[in-house]
Amino acid sequence: MSEVYKLIHPVKHFNDYISIKTRLDGRNFDEHRNIKLNVNSIKTADASAVVKCGNTTVVCGIKLELAVPKAEEPDLGFLITNVELPALCSSKYRPGPPSDYAQVINNIVSEIIKNSKCIDLKDLCIVPDKLAWVVYCDMVCIDHDGSLVDACIIALIASFKTLLLPSVNYDTETEEIKVETNERINLKIHGLPVATSFAVYEHFQSQIILLTDPTNYEEEMCGGNGSNLIISYNKGLLCGIQKLGGGSLSTENNEEAIRLAEQHTIAVEKVINACLEGKGTNK
Amino acid sequence: MVTDMKDVQDFKLKPMKCEFNFLSKSDGSAILSQGDTVSLVSVNGPLDIKMTSQRIDKSTLEVLFSNKNGKPSVENRYKENIVKQTCEAAILGSLYPRTGINVTIQELEDYGGFLACTLNCTCLALLNSGVSMRNVFAAVSCAVDNQGNVILDPTHAQLQTSTATMTFVFDSRDKSLITCFTDGCFSQDAYREALERSRSASDLVFAFYRDIIRKYCNVIG
Amino acid sequence: MNVSIDDVVLPGDHCPEIVAAGEKGKVLLGPGLRKEINGVFITKPGVLRKRTPNTYWVDNYQKRYVPSRGENVIGTVVQKAGDIFRVDVGGSCAASLSYLSFEGATKKNRPAIKTGDVVYAKMLNASKDMEPELVCVDSHGKKGRLGVLEEGFVFKCSLNLIRKILNPHCPLLNSLKNEWPFELAAGMNGRIWIKANTMRETLALGNAILGSEYLSNDEIKSMCKNIAVLLAGHVS
Repeated sequence: MSEVYKLIHPVKHFNDYISIKTRLDGRNFDEHRNIKLNVNSIKTADASAVVKCGNTTVVCGIKLELAVPKAEEPDLGFLITNVELPALCSSKYRPGPPSDYAQVINNIVSEIIKNSKCIDLKDLCIVPDKLAWVVYCDMVCIDHDGSLVDACIIALIASFKTLLLPSVNYDTETEEIKVETNERINLKIHGLPVATSFAVYEHFQSQIILLTDPTNYEEEMCGGNGSNLIISYNKGLLCGIQKLGGGSLSTENNEEAIRLAEQHTIAVEKVINACLEGKGTNK
Repeated sequence: MVTDMKDVQDFKLKPMKCEFNFLSKSDGSAILSQGDTVSLVSVNGPLDIKMTSQRIDKSTLEVLFSNKNGKPSVENRYKENIVKQTCEAAILGSLYPRTGINVTIQELEDYGGFLACTLNCTCLALLNSGVSMRNVFAAVSCAVDNQGNVILDPTHAQLQTSTATMTFVFDSRDKSLITCFTDGCFSQDAYREALERSRSASDLVFAFYRDIIRKYCNVIG
Repeated sequence: MNVSIDDVVLPGDHCPEIVAAGEKGKVLLGPGLRKEINGVFITKPGVLRKRTPNTYWVDNYQKRYVPSRGENVIGTVVQKAGDIFRVDVGGSCAASLSYLSFEGATKKNRPAIKTGDVVYAKMLNASKDMEPELVCVDSHGKKGRLGVLEEGFVFKCSLNLIRKILNPHCPLLNSLKNEWPFELAAGMNGRIWIKANTMRETLALGNAILGSEYLSNDEIKSMCKNIAVLLAGHVS
């Protein structure tokens, strides 16, 4: 019966839930879903992670390559992120070249990583002007149920934390490159960037409700183009705030969102650290 | 909100100049310069569009952005998305179901604060085209320099040395935040201060819109 | 922001005067105004006008026509399909004009209209959800001034220019009507059809109309005098 009601009166159905201060899956407005994290899942990649936030599943794989640094930046390596939304993750996406939305998510994720300065590109340089690492990070979404950016960042950071760079010997005279795959050093990560997504819902034209970690259905009801507000933290500093679509925010809403993002960041850090210590995977 | 004299002096934004109906064939067009940054926006609509892109309850807004060198890039899609989300909140699409509204943006000069200039120019072009809107919106950009000071409407030189830039878009009814995007790393206090300063500065942009419309209405008679 | 009558308004402004008038009696909201739960808001930029006793609207600049019922428009026939003609009126959708909506038309006696003809028709039905419908007869079945416009010259202009020249206070048509003979049809969709005896006179009329967009009433009078003098000098 409620499925029929959801189809015929979608807005009223959603409003009824919001009026009794709960969401369709029973969470409170500021609760986020369980996070399940697993690292080193893909043996052929140099580092990998699979994360499940509720139903949203993202697989991240990292491959390393060697290249010559750019002439205008001879001591910097390369970090290339790519987010893929294949047709299997949601009925909204068709097979073919990346959709507009995939490109937008790609941009947001790469901007967050770049602005958080968690990876110093100088660390990726082996010999200035001659040899540097190229880190290809591919994130593939297998199931899109909202909060895509959150899941992508968690998978990416977990992979970075487990990435081991092989030591490279470069002979400047003979230009010979010798890669020792057995001796590996950890990649230095500064901090631990975490993104928090919100959907901003305008309840009866006056009340603004912030829904933390929205599901796909909630994102659709709040405008239909992904999460409305994404706040990213790294080492206590904000490294990205994007608000796109949904209801408009007043100062109090902003404060509340920042406070919730801070709490969420601490919780996610615990999950990632726990997983990396090999103790467990659930939140 | 209490503002002391220092803030009042810093309210100045770069001088804005605008021309309506810059393009003769569009339904609405505007060219806006904020300081040295210039952008040109043309709006066409409501138009007839393919059946597959039609929505039965509202109009389909499509934004196309071209930068100076003309090459398509992922960043352009992101900018298009920002303009599209901001305009969708402002346009009353439900009055024009099964039609399309096309917004085309051309970057002419970028000396800092380009997206803010583009968003303001888009608002002016929409006003010129006569599409029904719920409210107007104003974009203000600001930068945080390495001492943590917030600078409103930074110049190109100030942007080179800044640690973060932020752009906020406010609506005209109750000055709430419609869109916001940031670049770089900053503290919560810098964010709050930038938000409040930009909110007050958006008054200047709304006054500019009113002034332009007044001049245009006087000429048309 | 709160505004009152004859103010320059932007979308999102609120007019408490209209709400107050609405509480006392019936109020007619014209283009550019919209009633929402918490008041009457402006949706188009322009000047807020009032006509006593209770009609309010916003005068705005617009080039694109949105079909609305009861307006006389000039359209071009683009297609003949079964029982109807498809007419382009400049809106988002082509309007339909039935074969039978002409004076003296029956199933056997079809009007002689070809693709490309210019028609002056009245909007019978126009809403945002349906394709607009035109007719070339009034409710008594009489043609009046509607129907096909033979020869002449059609050009486009903005919607507020049309309203300006059709305004009884505008001196444009009054100044020109005694100078040389011409025919004029103004469609509310921003299209004007003119016909005069020679090409020079037609062009002079067209330029006079387009030139009056940004002029005040006095300037329009002097412009018309200039054009008449120039024309008289050439016709000899």
